[in-house]
Amino acid sequence: MFKKLRWLRKIHISCAIFVIYTIFSNCYCDKPSVKPGFKIVSISPAMTEILFAVSAGNDIVGVTTFCNYPEAAKKIYKIGDFSNPSVERIVGLKPDIVIVNLPEQMRIKKQLEKLGITFFVSSPKSLNDIYKEIADIGKIVKKERGADSLIHYMKMNIGPSEHKRKKSVYIELSPRPLVTIGAHSFLNEMLEMAGGKNVFSDLNKDYPVISQEEVIKRNPEIIILLHPGNITDRLAWKKIAAIKKDKVYTNLNQDHILRPGPRLVEGFKELQRIIRE
Amino acid sequence: MNKFVPVILIFLLAIFVSIMVGPAQLTSEIIQLRLSRVILGIFAGGILAFCGGVLQGLFGNPLVEPYTLGSASGAALGGSIGILLFGTISPLFAFFGSLGVGFFVFTVARIEGGLLRDRLILAGVVMSFLCSSLVMIIMVMGGRELYEILYLLMGYLGIIINAENRLFIILMIVLSAVLMLFLYRYHRELDIISQGLETAAGLGIDIQKFSVIIFLITSLLIGLTVSLVGAIGFVGLVIPHISKLLFGPKHLYNLPASFILGATFLLLADTVSRIITVYELPVGVVTSLIGVPFFIYLYRK
Amino acid sequence: MEAIKAKNIYFSYNTKDVIKNVSFSLEQEEFLGIIGPNGAGKSTILRILCGILRPKTGDIFIFNKDINDIDKKTLAQKIAFVPQETHFALNFPVKDIVLMGRFPYLRAFQREGRKDLEATKHALAYAQVVEFRKRPINSLSSGERQRVVLARALAQEPEILILDEPTSHLDLHHQYAIMELLKKLNTEGMSIIIVNHDLNLASLYCQRLVLMHKGCIFSKGTPQSLINEKTLNDVYKTEVKIIKHPYKNVPQIFFHPKGE
Repeated sequence: MFKKLRWLRKIHISCAIFVIYTIFSNCYCDKPSVKPGFKIVSISPAMTEILFAVSAGNDIVGVTTFCNYPEAAKKIYKIGDFSNPSVERIVGLKPDIVIVNLPEQMRIKKQLEKLGITFFVSSPKSLNDIYKEIADIGKIVKKERGADSLIHYMKMNIGPSEHKRKKSVYIELSPRPLVTIGAHSFLNEMLEMAGGKNVFSDLNKDYPVISQEEVIKRNPEIIILLHPGNITDRLAWKKIAAIKKDKVYTNLNQDHILRPGPRLVEGFKELQRIIRE
Repeated sequence: MNKFVPVILIFLLAIFVSIMVGPAQLTSEIIQLRLSRVILGIFAGGILAFCGGVLQGLFGNPLVEPYTLGSASGAALGGSIGILLFGTISPLFAFFGSLGVGFFVFTVARIEGGLLRDRLILAGVVMSFLCSSLVMIIMVMGGRELYEILYLLMGYLGIIINAENRLFIILMIVLSAVLMLFLYRYHRELDIISQGLETAAGLGIDIQKFSVIIFLITSLLIGLTVSLVGAIGFVGLVIPHISKLLFGPKHLYNLPASFILGATFLLLADTVSRIITVYELPVGVVTSLIGVPFFIYLYRK
Repeated sequence: MEAIKAKNIYFSYNTKDVIKNVSFSLEQEEFLGIIGPNGAGKSTILRILCGILRPKTGDIFIFNKDINDIDKKTLAQKIAFVPQETHFALNFPVKDIVLMGRFPYLRAFQREGRKDLEATKHALAYAQVVEFRKRPINSLSSGERQRVVLARALAQEPEILILDEPTSHLDLHHQYAIMELLKKLNTEGMSIIIVNHDLNLASLYCQRLVLMHKGCIFSKGTPQSLINEKTLNDVYKTEVKIIKHPYKNVPQIFFHPKGE
């Protein structure tokens, strides 16, 4: 009889320890919660959005502080920010796959290689790249159907539209120095499809630094600013067609345009609206 | 000094070339743009070379340059903090960063009743290191803005002139003209100080007062310049040497020559940077690229 | 009226007292020598007298005027200082260096006038460096350079000349030339203070000597009264033999090698 009781007490104690452990481990929010199954760490805000869109959001165990969409992404354990994620935190999560962005995260990629952690490289330069990456990641997380329908949805909404004449567009990412988008950017492609023509599409770079003189020379009809700032008071810019006709757009959502994810659809619609106006 | 005639001719030629040469067709807007760029170039190049000459004279050290006293890294730090807080570089932040570091260097080097010249250099160098690492932290933390700090560190003349910094540019031009004239008053003191502090003191120069004046005014000038066009390198270090090679050790002649040569050199470097590529290249890269071989050639001759 | 009067001078670098209660005076048209072992504070007292260093306490009067009440440039018109050695960071021509001696007379942006050029010419001739006037300073020998520095000091047209070991590093001929030049200046009315390690030269040329030891004045007086075997043994801890100069009535010193 006594023997049985002691045995029971042992169970009680271990149960109590387990309960206390779970309470503590849940209270200590910074500690990643242990999840069964496939574990993904995404250092790419765009890929985070894609993963949620293909309904693999539950498999994500770590994201960056930049991953602000959808709402659920904000609650996932943070492994650092976009350009400076913590490798230690990533390793601590024991992920099955880590999604890295190139070229910004070259350093992380090399460290992961050394540690033997599987990674997926995201570095889209065109819309096709984006679709291909969605399909690839869909296969990896076994959500092929979700990926297919996401690609379908994006292809349906982002497509060439009929325009008599393409309007020239200048997109400014930063004012000091002037940074715009070149040919090697999905944004360049989206502009073309929306009926615009990037004035710097002849530059074979993704984000070239250019001079004021070149902008004035190329005389864009539409200017899109992706930074807070004013350009109408700039010396010698007043005669640019876009400024003369008051076609300067500043209030676009950067995440809809610069983030190669599902919300490009919204961004594309905004571009279309601007160009059609 | 008849040597000034060819130098001024080359200077005028450089102005002409910078206005005429460029990718775009000459329209009134483009001329306006290039003219503003030329004015920036003249003052930035001139101020850097002039201050370099004054500081090399004061410290009796040919390796001193305008940035030795920490103004450039201070401006970079101020600019980076501006980026961190507001997303863009404001010249105001860079300017106050530069002045802040200058002031800090000054307090470190201050002793009872004056200033220690050697400690000034040391404090400046140490502060530069501190600022650089702080800038690095900000650079690593920020993403895309990396460009902006890089351009602030290397310097470029193609800045956008708008309502915000127009005041700064006018202030720089007016103030720098006045301040440089004020510094030029001390050309004789700088001649004498090259023979050591005791000689200078024996001839009636108040070394402490003199050092403080030179330090404060050059810091102000360099702070203004860096906050506008960034820390353009090479000009402030090497142009004073070239000026001394051509015009001799007398500061009466080699300081104005430094100004003209610095302005000419920067204008030519900027013209090169504009025509070799459609991209905007930091002019600091070009100054070193074409300046170093030229300097080696001149020195070996 | 004394040319320089120093009263109870104290001076310290950081916390170490280098000059302790030193008082002495330089009469007008006097040739005064300051002697003493290394580290006695000779060079320091010279720098205090010409206003380069400020004493911690004590008063200095230049022609009966407190040195603190005299503007630095005005002081440089009265006193010229010749340092022991000058490093020329910039390679000026000799005449420009001598012309810099006119600095105390010039305002900012004022061009050198005829008076300045004449004073420079005079100084060049006096220091016998006319022939080098167009040569860059660093192409001269150290003896020649020292004479250029002396010429610069003369261009200041001072009433008092203060020299810190002007003959060290110089050969026999140049030592002699400098000392003779100083003597000539002195007979023409210049008051001179010189620090000299060469006791024989000091004894030959100076009218009065001040012997410093460990920051204090050990004794003052004419060479005849001051230089004797006991004093030198006390101060320099060296045994010497003293005999009289063959032509002049001044003591001259000879070493006494051990065991001979």
